[in-house]
Amino acid sequence: MKLYLDISESFKIALGAIVANKSRGALTALGIIIGIVAVITTMTAANGLKNTFTQTFASVGADVIYVSKRPWVQMGPGFRFRNRRDISLSASDELQQRLLGRGIVNPSIGGNKNVKYQSTTLDNININGTTEKQIIVSDMVPSIGRFLMPFDIKYKKSVAVIGSEISENLFGQSSAVGKYIKIGRNKFLVIGVMEEQGSSFFGGPNFDRQIYIPITTFGKTIGHNGGRANVNIAIKAPNQESMSDFEFEVIGEMRKIRGLKPAEDDDFSINKLDTLLDAYNNMMGVVVLVGLIITSISLFVGGVGVMNIMFVSVTERTKEIGIRKAIGAKRRSILLQFLFESSTICLFGGIIGLSIAAVLTKIINDMLMPASISPAIVLTALIISIFVGVVSGFVPAYRGAKLDPIEALRYE
Amino acid sequence: MSVLSPAPEQDDTSKINQENDVILAITDVTRTYFMGDQEVNALKGVSLNIRKGEYVSIMGPSGSGKSTLMNMIGCLDVPTSGSYLLEGEAVSKMSEDQLAEIRNKKIGFVFQTFNLVPRVSVFQNVELPLIYKGVSKKKRKAIVEKAISAVGLEDRAGHKSNELSGGQRQRVAIARALVCDPSIILADEPTGNLDSSTGEEIMVLLNRLHDKGHTIILVTHEDEIAEHSHRIIRLRDGLIESDISK
Repeated sequence: MKLYLDISESFKIALGAIVANKSRGALTALGIIIGIVAVITTMTAANGLKNTFTQTFASVGADVIYVSKRPWVQMGPGFRFRNRRDISLSASDELQQRLLGRGIVNPSIGGNKNVKYQSTTLDNININGTTEKQIIVSDMVPSIGRFLMPFDIKYKKSVAVIGSEISENLFGQSSAVGKYIKIGRNKFLVIGVMEEQGSSFFGGPNFDRQIYIPITTFGKTIGHNGGRANVNIAIKAPNQESMSDFEFEVIGEMRKIRGLKPAEDDDFSINKLDTLLDAYNNMMGVVVLVGLIITSISLFVGGVGVMNIMFVSVTERTKEIGIRKAIGAKRRSILLQFLFESSTICLFGGIIGLSIAAVLTKIINDMLMPASISPAIVLTALIISIFVGVVSGFVPAYRGAKLDPIEALRYE
Repeated sequence: MSVLSPAPEQDDTSKINQENDVILAITDVTRTYFMGDQEVNALKGVSLNIRKGEYVSIMGPSGSGKSTLMNMIGCLDVPTSGSYLLEGEAVSKMSEDQLAEIRNKKIGFVFQTFNLVPRVSVFQNVELPLIYKGVSKKKRKAIVEKAISAVGLEDRAGHKSNELSGGQRQRVAIARALVCDPSIILADEPTGNLDSSTGEEIMVLLNRLHDKGHTIILVTHEDEIAEHSHRIIRLRDGLIESDISK
C-alpha cells in the first residue's frame, strides 16, 4: 500500500472516528486545551514581562556606560559599596577631558523631594540634577518647551523639565511651561515637559515621574546627603561595536582619577544595560522556567488523558481492527489510524487552546503589559499538540496494530 | 508447482495440480494450540486440493478443526507444520504483513456476523479493501459501484450499515469480498444469522457468483446449505473424514 494513500486514508478514518464520538473527543481534547492555554499564556506573559522590561530601560541606552558608586544589581553585602568614596562632580569633568572628546560624558545626581503647584502636592518625586547632555545619553526629548541648556547649568538657573506624568498630575490639560512649581522649598520655572516614556516595569523606575534640574542648582535646593555629592557619570560610547574596549578605557581613566594603586580593587562600579538584562534573565529565566514546568505538568496530565481514551478506543474497536486486518490492513495502517486519531484530537485541542490563549493574551496586553502571540508561539503550540498526540497515542496504537486478527475477530 | 512441493510423495497430487488448475494446495497440515498447559491438536495432518471454480463445503461438528482449517485457508493463521500453497505462493512461511497482503488480494471473507465496519456507509465498507490495496480514489469509485450493483444494493450505497437488514448487511459483506477480485470467496456460516428465506437469497447470490466462475469455499454445519455446493469435505477430530464430489 502506498504511503501517501495510507496517510490520507488513515487520516479520514481517524476523522470519522472522532466525529462519531464527538463528546468523548471534546472531553479528551479539554485536557490538551487547558495544557496549551497554560503553557502558551505563560510564554506570552513571559514575553510581555521582557517587553516591558526592555521598554522601561530603553532610555538607559545600549551604548551607554554608567560609572556609579554602587552597582545597580547588588550581589553580596552592601557595606562594601556604602563605604566607598563618593564620586565627585570634578571626577566627571576630569573623565571628559581624559577621554579626549571620545564619548559624551554626563554627570547626574538623584534625590527625592515633594513637588508642589498651587494646592497640589506630589510626594517623593525623583529629582535629577543633570546637564544638557542628559537627552543625548538617554534618548529622551521634551515634547513641549525645551530641555536644559548649557547656560542653565553655567548660571545655576532655577529651571525644571518635568516628566509627562508630573505635568498631568499638576497641570492637567493646561500647559505647564512658564509656570512655577515648588521643589522642596525652592521655586522652579518649568521650561519643558518630557515626552511620555510609557509603561514601567513592576518596581522599576518610572521615567515619567522625574524632574530634571541643572546639576549646579541641585546642591543648594535639594541638599546633598550630609553635604556629600555623589555623582553618577553616564558616558555614551562613540559606537556600540567597541563597547567593551571603551569600557576598559573608562575603567582605566577612572582608576587614574581616583588614584588607585595597581593592586587595589575598583572603588566604583560600571553599570550598563547588559548588567540589567543579565540580572533580569537570571531572575526571570528561573521564574519562567518554573512556570513552564508547572504548566507543562497540566499538558502532561492532558496527554495521559488522551492515552487513556486511546486505550479505550482501541479496546472498544478490537473487532473493527480484526475486520480491517482480515480484509488486508497491515500493522502500519492500524498504527497510523490510531496515531492520527490521537494527534488530530490533540491538534484540535491545541488550536482551541491557542485561541483561548490569544484571548487571554489580549486581555493581558490591554490590562497589564505589552504581550502578543507570535508566529513562533503558534508554531510551537501546534507542534507541541501534535507531539503530545503522537506520544500519548503510540502505545495504544501499537497495541491495536499488533492484535492477532483471529482473536480480534472473535472479540465481542 | 511440482518444484514447490515440499515432499517427493506428493508427486501424484502435483500432477493433478498441473492438470486441473489447482489454486489451493494443503499438504499434511497440522495446527497445535496451547490452552494454558494443555496442548490441543486442532488439525492432525490434513491434505486438500481445491481447483479453480470449485464450490466446496467444509463441514464438521464443533471441535472438528473446521474453524482452524478455515482460518488457515483464509491466511489468518499459519500451520504448525505442513505446507499451504495459495496460487503457488507458500503461505506457511509468510510474515503477518505479507499475510495481510495475501488476504487483501486473494481472499474474500463473508462472515456469519457480517463484520461490517460500524459508523461508515455501505460504499465505504465495500471500498475498504481497495484502500488497503492502494487503489487510487478515482479508480475505486467505479469498482465499488460495480460490486454494489452485483449484490443489488445500488439504492443503499449511502446508508450506514446499522440502517440495513441482516440480509442487506450480508450482501454488503459479499460485495466487499468481491471488490478485490479474490481467488477464493471464503464464506463462514454465511446464513447463520439470517432467517431461512433471507438465507436462501444469500445462497442464490453465492450460487450466481459461482456460476460466474468464482471459487467458493463454504464453512457450515447445515446440510441444506452444504447441498448448494458440489463437493463436501467433512472433518472430524482434526482429520478429513470424507471428501465427496457430486
